[in-house]
Amino acid sequence: MPGDLSRLLNALGLIVIDTVLALAFVDQLWFRDLPCPLCILQRAGFTAAGFGLALNLVFGPRSSHYGVIVLGAAAGAAVAARQILDHIVPGSGSYGNDIFGLHLYTLAFIAFSLMIVGSGLMLLDDRQFARTEPWSSRMNVLPLSAFVMFFVLAVGNVISTVLICGGGFCPETPAGYLILNDNLSLTMLSEAF
Amino acid sequence: MMSLPFLLFACGLGAAWLRQRGAAMGFWVAGLVVLLVLFRIHMGDVLNIAL
Repeated sequence: MPGDLSRLLNALGLIVIDTVLALAFVDQLWFRDLPCPLCILQRAGFTAAGFGLALNLVFGPRSSHYGVIVLGAAAGAAVAARQILDHIVPGSGSYGNDIFGLHLYTLAFIAFSLMIVGSGLMLLDDRQFARTEPWSSRMNVLPLSAFVMFFVLAVGNVISTVLICGGGFCPETPAGYLILNDNLSLTMLSEAF
Repeated sequence: MMSLPFLLFACGLGAAWLRQRGAAMGFWVAGLVVLLVLFRIHMGDVLNIAL
């Protein structure tokens, strides 16, 4: 596989992860489906796995970067599997909206599994590792926009998680934005006195 | 606390952009460790199973 094809595939993979993280925000903001703690950790798993793709774009493909993808996806898959097991018993309910009959944590598990398989397939070809110089000096529009969008989504998740959970741990079933509610309570308290 | 993995990954991406590969990998490892610790904490949540 030529290096440029590897770079293109990594950019496309990162765009797919960007899309997944962006859709999670759409679900949160548009459909008011607030993420549970395990849902937030699955988002972190996507970010951990996408980190390897971003490294491939900036520094060129290396086997260690694919290792980053596999380990990040494995961590995310473990979290998704735990949430699937939470609801696997009939009558134990589910969390959040479903798409085509599958809940987001099930789709996340499938996506993490595909990322691990995809990384394995990419690792089969050694020719992509022949180039040693960093590629960031000639990053074109597609990899650059994928990288920038990924960074923006990571920062967006920092802000979103702080708004939902505050500085501590998240409630198991979040009912609202904790920081805003706390501030609202403080405002009402101060108005009362 | 729950935002810490994202913060560390974002710092890692910033380090990667500045061509600091070692720092980027360090931030990624720290982020993954925090993610796993948080997962361990939430993994102990009670399962909704009636036996």
